[in-house]
Amino acid sequence: MSNELENIPIRQELEVLQSGQKRTNPLANVFDGLVKFCRSRSMFMLHYCTGCGAIELPPAMTSRFDMERLGIQPMVTPRQADILLITGYVSIKTLKRIILTYEQMGSPKYVIGICSCTVNGGMYWQSYATAKVLRDYLPVDVYIAGCMPRPEAVISGLRELMEDISSGRAESWKKYYQHYDYYLGNQQKLFGEDWQTPTDIIAEARHYDLMTEHTLGEHTALLEKHQKPLEALEMRLSVKDKQKV
Amino acid sequence: MRPENYQAKNHPPSHEFELNFGPNHPGIEGNYAFKVKLNGDTVLSARADGGYLHRGFEKLMEGRLWIQNIALVPRICVPDPVPMEVCYSLAIEELGGLEVPERAQWIRVMQLEMSRLAAHLFAFGGHAATTGMYTTMFWGVADRDLILDRFEELTGGRVYSIYNIPGGVRREVPDGFLERMSSLLDYLESRLPDYDNLFFRNQVFIKRARDVGAMTQEQALKWGVTGPNLRATGLAFDVRRDDPYLVYDQLDFEIPTEPGGDALSRNLVRRSELKQSIRILRQVIERLPSIRGPIRCPIPNPLAWNVPAGESYTRVESSKGELAYYVVSTGGDKPYRVHVRGPSSMHAVQVLENLAVGSRLEDVAQIMFSLDACPPEVDR
Ligand code: SF4
Repeated sequence: MSNELENIPIRQELEVLQSGQKRTNPLANVFDGLVKFCRSRSMFMLHYCTGCGAIELPPAMTSRFDMERLGIQPMVTPRQADILLITGYVSIKTLKRIILTYEQMGSPKYVIGICSCTVNGGMYWQSYATAKVLRDYLPVDVYIAGCMPRPEAVISGLRELMEDISSGRAESWKKYYQHYDYYLGNQQKLFGEDWQTPTDIIAEARHYDLMTEHTLGEHTALLEKHQKPLEALEMRLSVKDKQKV
Repeated sequence: MRPENYQAKNHPPSHEFELNFGPNHPGIEGNYAFKVKLNGDTVLSARADGGYLHRGFEKLMEGRLWIQNIALVPRICVPDPVPMEVCYSLAIEELGGLEVPERAQWIRVMQLEMSRLAAHLFAFGGHAATTGMYTTMFWGVADRDLILDRFEELTGGRVYSIYNIPGGVRREVPDGFLERMSSLLDYLESRLPDYDNLFFRNQVFIKRARDVGAMTQEQALKWGVTGPNLRATGLAFDVRRDDPYLVYDQLDFEIPTEPGGDALSRNLVRRSELKQSIRILRQVIERLPSIRGPIRCPIPNPLAWNVPAGESYTRVESSKGELAYYVVSTGGDKPYRVHVRGPSSMHAVQVLENLAVGSRLEDVAQIMFSLDACPPEVDR
């Protein structure tokens, strides 16, 4: 399978960038480490029950395996969540919602793909209704394979993510900005070329200073082409009882 | 800040608005959505919006061998997978004229009841969580896990066992399994009074759930309601008793009913069914050692098995209601057509849409959980 991203040494690039910026103040380095450590120990997880893997999450979250001892708690709104758990196969209809949810989350954000179905389509490799390879549409930090992975596997995957965060290796969210054109291209292949999301990723990439030559391209050009002018919110309301108003 | 080209439109004021409930919402079971129209807190109309979990099962099954589909079917209903396997196997056995050994039938009954216990514990745990009683959910999930441990010992899989095949079951019951099962049942039975005190007799639950999402028996029959939801309207219909399959006709159990038809009654029926399932399991544990013999009948080479042409319709009682498979074979090595009649497709679509009207917004989640609908099975 051709995954263009494999050729791009994104990690090295980042490391060079980081080491180039090495702070002169030793205290700042200590402080950076501390931030990373804290970040990895207090994660709010938005689990979007996309598929059957979600059934192993209640045991993992409740008394028996108890995810909360790792500082991981479920969170109901994407705005305050750090991790997006994709628990199983994603149908095309769900994938749209996943992308919208992912773009709403605040950075830094991490994606975990649970279940074989997110890796390569799993059991549904020949289904007409599912998206097969999750990392074509979103950057994934950790995959937990298995059909379905046991709660122990889920927890070990989460621990791996914690490790990655505290050592600064979990940088997938940057990849989304840096290679937005690639991800958008795949999304457009699936949803049609007039696919739009309400979040302005390009402006955010500028804001975070993460623009690369792969951020803009032929696919992002389509965004502008199909963009509809902003309209006032259309709300259809009806009045039944005038007295009440 | 408003965009430059924003122009406010003047609308006459109103109290009606639309709300998207789900798919990513803690009050909804799984990946499922609702569009509700509200006036204040009262639901004026509700529209189910499924399809988030659609995988095209019935089409996928036409492309795979008879035996390969065994691995596919449990995925249709995730919290209660065993009835799926058993029902599909029963359909093939009927087509192929296979005679299932008696021991295998008893083992299947044991699994079915274990699965029902696990699914019910999960169901009212979920219901409790929607009314803010998280302790019940924690307890329910923890106790369900003990049953999953036994599943793991018996079949090798915690949730999906893929243990039933056409003609019988895959493996013999491990040594000492029945004793461990029996002590698990003792434990679960000792937990029931705790659940009563915590949840079923809790005034918070009773006051919240009484008269919420109520339906009459006529409505239930008209809408195609089955299973515990139907029995909660006072009709004692159970496929296990009224159209016995496997060895249910040799077992002694009751069909609990409740008169109310509301969310409270539906949960109380599940509570009584826990007791009946424990009772059935006790009988199985008692009888199983005395039934000797093979655990499956010989089947042709499964990779080149041309099941004789014909049609079959088999039904079983799953924890959600009546589950049926309609299988057509044209004599090939793959099914020609498989249709799944799942109970949740009725419960989560037309029943829920009807029951939600007139209720308050905070009760919509309660109604959904009390119907115990299973979204993956609605979408399939
Ligand atoms: S990998 Fe298995 S358990 Fe996970 S979503 Fe796919 S079919 Fe379900």
